[in-house]
Amino acid sequence: MANWIPHWMQRLSSPPTFYRFAGVLRPWCMALSLILLIIGLYGGLVMAPPDYQQGDAFRIIYIHVPSAWMSLFIYGVMAVSGFIAVIWRIKLAESVAMQSAPIGAAFTFITLVTGSLWGYPTWGTWWTWDARLTSELVLLFLYLGVIGLYHAFEDRRQGARAAAFLVLVGVVNLPIVHYSVQWWHTLHQGTTVRLFGKSSIEADMLWPLLVMTLSTKLYWVASLCGRVRTDMLSLESGKHWVRDLAMEDEA
Amino acid sequence: MKPGSVSAAAAAVLRRDLVLAWRSRGDMAMPVLYALIVATLFPFALGPDSALLARIAGGVVLVTVLLSMLLALDALFRPDLEDGSLEQLMLAPQPLALMLSMKILAHWLTTALPLIVIAPLLASMLHLPGHAIAVLVLALVVATPLLSLLGSVLVALTAGTRRSGMLLALMLLPLCVPVVIFAAGAVSAAQANLPWVAPIAWLGAALALILVLAPLACAAALRIAVDA
Amino acid sequence: MDTGFPSRDLQPHGQVIQPLGQSCALLPDSMMPNTTNTALLEARGLTFLRQDERVFGPLDFSLAHGEVMLVEGDNGSGKTTLLRVLAGLLRADEGNLYLDGEPLDRDRARGRMLFMAHHLGLKADLSPLENLRIASGLYGCRPRTTPANVLQKVGLQGYEDEPVRQLSAGQKKRAALARMLLIPAQMWLLDEPFANLDREGIALVNGLIEEHAEAGGAALVTSHGAVTFLHGTPRRIRMPA
Repeated sequence: MANWIPHWMQRLSSPPTFYRFAGVLRPWCMALSLILLIIGLYGGLVMAPPDYQQGDAFRIIYIHVPSAWMSLFIYGVMAVSGFIAVIWRIKLAESVAMQSAPIGAAFTFITLVTGSLWGYPTWGTWWTWDARLTSELVLLFLYLGVIGLYHAFEDRRQGARAAAFLVLVGVVNLPIVHYSVQWWHTLHQGTTVRLFGKSSIEADMLWPLLVMTLSTKLYWVASLCGRVRTDMLSLESGKHWVRDLAMEDEA
Repeated sequence: MKPGSVSAAAAAVLRRDLVLAWRSRGDMAMPVLYALIVATLFPFALGPDSALLARIAGGVVLVTVLLSMLLALDALFRPDLEDGSLEQLMLAPQPLALMLSMKILAHWLTTALPLIVIAPLLASMLHLPGHAIAVLVLALVVATPLLSLLGSVLVALTAGTRRSGMLLALMLLPLCVPVVIFAAGAVSAAQANLPWVAPIAWLGAALALILVLAPLACAAALRIAVDA
Repeated sequence: MDTGFPSRDLQPHGQVIQPLGQSCALLPDSMMPNTTNTALLEARGLTFLRQDERVFGPLDFSLAHGEVMLVEGDNGSGKTTLLRVLAGLLRADEGNLYLDGEPLDRDRARGRMLFMAHHLGLKADLSPLENLRIASGLYGCRPRTTPANVLQKVGLQGYEDEPVRQLSAGQKKRAALARMLLIPAQMWLLDEPFANLDREGIALVNGLIEEHAEAGGAALVTSHGAVTFLHGTPRRIRMPA
């Protein structure tokens, strides 16, 4: 392992340490995520004013947009941890990349379904071959390819490394998804929320969206913690710390 | 050429794969036959309306070629992996990426080139106008190496697995969406008498980039997949 | 030795560079006789894990120039894995390898290690001669060897142009042995080299290994334990089950 990786990261990347750390983190994240979910949904569905063009139909934005952001964000996380997995072969990075994939695929699926539900009242069709929708579909295929490749190997760590490599190959796809609106002009509306400069969305409508975004992020952290913990237990099933843990449970 | 020099090694690998392909010419004909059958099925399914067929001809031929290439892709490394010659290639004191690019070149010459040759036939069966056929062939000349190169990376990743057919399709198809969009865009632009050079130029730029990156990625992927 | 193998035919390499002609004249640095006493190959604490299960190790051994070592062990004891690690096809989880005293990595290993495995690495649709031409193209060849004359040395004259597919198992093995003579690799890693061979073939392998050792090379030979046909009393590594 490279020397420049900070000491605490090395400590954390050891499976037993991470197992304990994730065990503490998980319930807090889950609880906070649920609280924010309730606040965000109340703010979005009840408090926010209806859109002057789309009426109440726009409210699906509070599911659709956070999911879409998560679908991209999780792929980005997978790319970073996949890179670490391929280069330094750190078990935790392999696990994070692979256990994120089903969560990311689920968010991508939600994005597609809510997008098409939103599309019907606004565009008059369930599905259009619009650039962003298409790219999101491609992203779903990419997720499924990664999951499929991971499970095709007999050796799980080798499968994780190969799939992590596929994530890196597919990373080229990510900017294509994001900039596709600029590349192919179609009927999908342009970006309305900007990090810098003035957003073209009312503040009353914006804050529940941001709360929902935070909630989905925390949900992902909680879910990932649980999945990686399970993965660590099964990967390290022969190790002392797992055996000790099992003994503790029995006692 | 000195034996053991990089150029001699590259020539040896290229010649070997071409000779092997020639000795099993029957396998070489399969993708071509497959493309022919798929393209023939479309008129039966859609009816002999030549205006309709002409409108979809470019896309049909492109997708048919893509699927035929996908069919042949699995044979890129599997025989070499099974008889141990891939290990001999990996242990040779030569840049692996270059050796692999020779293999990819041989694979392109033996699978994609025949498809490009019959593409005008397929396109005229579907009533694509003459000037659009020329653009279609040009688009294929640029797009098929891209597909071969992208495919080689993915097929290298699946080299260590038992089953790979459907998986390879699932992995490859998302990556070749832009290739299909630009290649088909060029053909339909030509059909509509619009300028068609820009999409081809984009494909050419992508090819130049992938030509350098894909063999390196392929070598890295192969090392991951063979490491058991 | 009744091998049909002229035993002094292979010269120690390194002195003469022949003009380029029919025979190969490429002489990589790796074949230069090493004058110092450093071991050709040294392993320290070499360990390999598969899914966190120890396959072998920690192993410590060293091979001097001109030495032949036998790797013994039952099926599944990790002999082949050890050879694959040494060849640079697999990455060891712990421990260090040194080639001529310098740390060995994959790039330095390539071309200096010859690995003959259960899969011989011959293309069945090509003739032995064509197979060897590819090998010499990839690896270069020793002084005064050509694909044709090494095939003669292993007793495959008359079969040069038959497709490998039509050769017997023993003849295929001989074609792979011919590649060992051709490739200028210093360190031979031979996985069960005596399998599929008749008595004459076994004597041939022994002859080749001795020639190679006398020329300053070294060899690591695996055997699954019951019998070894290796001449003399080589040093042994026992792979624990």
